[in-house]
Amino acid sequence: MLTDAVVNGITAGSVYALVAVGMTIIFGVLRAINFAHGEFYMLGTFGAWWGIETLDLPYIVSIPLALIIVATIALAVGVLVMKRLIDQPFQIGIVATLGVSLVLQNAVILIFGGAYKMFDGGWIEPVEILGVSLSEQRILIVVAALAIFGLLELVVHRTRFGKTIRAVSQNIEACKVVGVNVPAVVIGTFVLGCTLAALSGVLTAPVTVSLYGGMGTSITVKTFAIIVMGGVGNVSGTLFAAWLLGLMESFVASYLGLQFRDAVAFTALIAVLTFLPGGLFSKRERF
Amino acid sequence: MATMQLHEVNTHGSHIYNNPRHGLRITGFVVLVVALAAAPLVAGEYQLHALIVSMTFLLPALGLNLILGYAGMLSFAQMAFFGIGAYSSALTAMRWGTPFWLNLIIGGLAAGVVAVPLGIPALRLRRYSFVMCTLGFAVIAQTVAKNLVSVTRGDLGLSQVPRPRIALWSGGFEVTGITSYYYLALTLAVLAVVAFLALVSSAAGRYMIAIREDETLAASVGTPTWHYRMIAFALSAVFAGVGGSFYVHYFTVISPTVFDPFYANTVLVIVLGGGVGTVGGVVLGSFLFVAASEALRIAPDLRMIAYGLLLIVIVFACPEGLLPLFMRKLDGLKGRTHVA
Amino acid sequence: MSPDTLAALSIRGIAKRFGSIVAVAGISVDIKLGEICGLTGPNGSGKSTLFDCCTGLQKPSTGRVYAQGLDITGWDMHRIVREARVIRSFQKAVVFRALSVEENLVLCGQMIAFAGMASTFGVGPASRHRVRRLREQAGHLLELVGLSHMRHATAGQISFGQQKLLQFASMLMPEPRVILLDEPMAGVNPILIDRMMENINRANREQGITFVVVEHNLDAMKALCHRLLVLSRGELIADGAPDAVVRDPAVVEAYLAG
Repeated sequence: MLTDAVVNGITAGSVYALVAVGMTIIFGVLRAINFAHGEFYMLGTFGAWWGIETLDLPYIVSIPLALIIVATIALAVGVLVMKRLIDQPFQIGIVATLGVSLVLQNAVILIFGGAYKMFDGGWIEPVEILGVSLSEQRILIVVAALAIFGLLELVVHRTRFGKTIRAVSQNIEACKVVGVNVPAVVIGTFVLGCTLAALSGVLTAPVTVSLYGGMGTSITVKTFAIIVMGGVGNVSGTLFAAWLLGLMESFVASYLGLQFRDAVAFTALIAVLTFLPGGLFSKRERF
Repeated sequence: MATMQLHEVNTHGSHIYNNPRHGLRITGFVVLVVALAAAPLVAGEYQLHALIVSMTFLLPALGLNLILGYAGMLSFAQMAFFGIGAYSSALTAMRWGTPFWLNLIIGGLAAGVVAVPLGIPALRLRRYSFVMCTLGFAVIAQTVAKNLVSVTRGDLGLSQVPRPRIALWSGGFEVTGITSYYYLALTLAVLAVVAFLALVSSAAGRYMIAIREDETLAASVGTPTWHYRMIAFALSAVFAGVGGSFYVHYFTVISPTVFDPFYANTVLVIVLGGGVGTVGGVVLGSFLFVAASEALRIAPDLRMIAYGLLLIVIVFACPEGLLPLFMRKLDGLKGRTHVA
Repeated sequence: MSPDTLAALSIRGIAKRFGSIVAVAGISVDIKLGEICGLTGPNGSGKSTLFDCCTGLQKPSTGRVYAQGLDITGWDMHRIVREARVIRSFQKAVVFRALSVEENLVLCGQMIAFAGMASTFGVGPASRHRVRRLREQAGHLLELVGLSHMRHATAGQISFGQQKLLQFASMLMPEPRVILLDEPMAGVNPILIDRMMENINRANREQGITFVVVEHNLDAMKALCHRLLVLSRGELIADGAPDAVVRDPAVVEAYLAG
């Protein structure tokens, strides 16, 4: 039971980490919380499900298809909504992205119906590693999360796009003065962040199996908890906070009962906000 | 420094004293109440039901308006307080057969009492942290309602909650017919609006507006800012709790779905859509967005898409909400310039 | 280092450090009752931080502040205003922009008219009477500062200089003993500067209010103040009659170097 709890916790944590890191970088450039973030996770899952069910595609092909669909939707949202949030009071951002979340979530329910759906795909054969039996998909999730975090660190620190993102995060006014195309950076970051959320959804779907239109909401709220715990804008802090939340949830689910799992994130969130406003890895309040 | 406000251009709420249109407002309010009182003569049972539901939502909406529109804090805890009011009122009525008026008080007080310990850590937080703390509270409230099975009966919820019993203590009569319910709801709504108007036009209301406008400046003129933010937070919970109490004795059932984002979003749309920081706007919002969609029987998913689009349009195109927009149109028609 | 209980403000060894940066390096000074005292110095010399430490916006790292013998160190700003009657202005946050000119004044006066928290919830005749009294008082003050014609205008829509006059009038509403003005003349046109100085002088003469004024405009300071303090790098480098202080070599050097 203990090993199971640890394995489940790390898997769930890796899933959360991929979603949360997207939200963190979007917050960095825009100083706005994306209330619709979980919806992009949900859209990723639905995109792959649609590819498998309707187009009869294999799982491996439905992954890029889902990512392309989500990136396109994110681009539209970025151009229509997120771009306008630059320099707006923070409450405007909350309300606008909440609006986006309502539209996306209920559009999916309208199109595909509100009932639960089964996800039929992925590599769910169990393999045995060091005496622990776990599915290939879980290994894939953890490996993918690690690889993407490594890649993100590289992108953020080594590439031109990454440097622009960091510059905008630090001082948006100065960037405007030196001629950085801030709206383009915001839209680009938003598309990147949402696509990461979608990737997380696609990779998780074979493990969680069921999907429904409202599944994004709880992901959004857990993402808040993670970025508050990890410290906003802290990429590696996000990964550790996500793992920590995954482990805590998994232990609570194993030892106290599944029904308490969803309250873990917010109990942790309120505790961290109250006692450690800078997150677990920093002293400064940044949020 | 003070938080940035959603309604930086909205100066309506701050002109409740000495408002040049004060007379017009009172006339409008009286006309509306008279029209609503006459509604059962023409409206069918379903329309009356739609009006009752919208008047039920008016209470948590007034509460949200108090803390968002007057004290300047965005809270997602409003429907959690509504649920707490509903559950506590239902449970006391089921166990002890308490009369309706006492249930309303219990519902309001329970919500207000829970708001204080939540407010102590939450009100220290600023911006997003506060918003998320309130959102987290709503999630935890739902988890408790689902899992405290011995009290709340979990996902099944409570059913056969007593109907409102109008009595001083015991005996009295029970409200059953839709028309009686309607008049009860109308009375409650009128009392709530009057109480709200009294509150925001008092010296305390003026302090709350000062805090919304600029917290440091408010403190520099002697406002104990923390106390008044707490008072606004707790009173907003009381409004929601009373609304929840009425709700549960009208529908006679309650389940943890009351904590769903659907309801919280509806309240947000009422306040922002109608006109944050105004009373008329919130009244308009609840009739427009709840009564209309109930009466037209719009499916929940379509309604939510419409709400979502509305929120996006509102924040960018008219952050003051619809009421000030209507008022300006009205002024334009009369050829007056709008000063406030 | 005992406080002067007669002084309007008795500042004893106030220091404020942010990490390794010293903003105020241990200042002791007494502001006498009834004085108009100027406080000047180059940018970053610690004037605003000293103000903040005296009015509760920041807590000093060490040192104490007394208002007529009352130890107000570390009190919250609203308590200092209410109980010690020491009120301050801000450079940027000047007025409540969404409120009318008159409502700004009523708001500032209600801390006296509605002293207890419970009384602020009253809407009965007694409360209405108190508000009416505040309006009368506001009308009188608006006449004095020359803003009567703007009584019902929205404060955010009048000119910046007029907002500063309104701010000044607001500060007189709660019947303060000490007023700390943070750059009352910055960004104000010369005609309004004259009017502002006239108002300060009148309030000082007729109501006996003590003033501490942070200002860069040295000409205005010489005309207005009885006494001038100069800060440089967090330390008090000159204290005396304005004419003598501006000729002080240390002051000249601080300005040239600063």
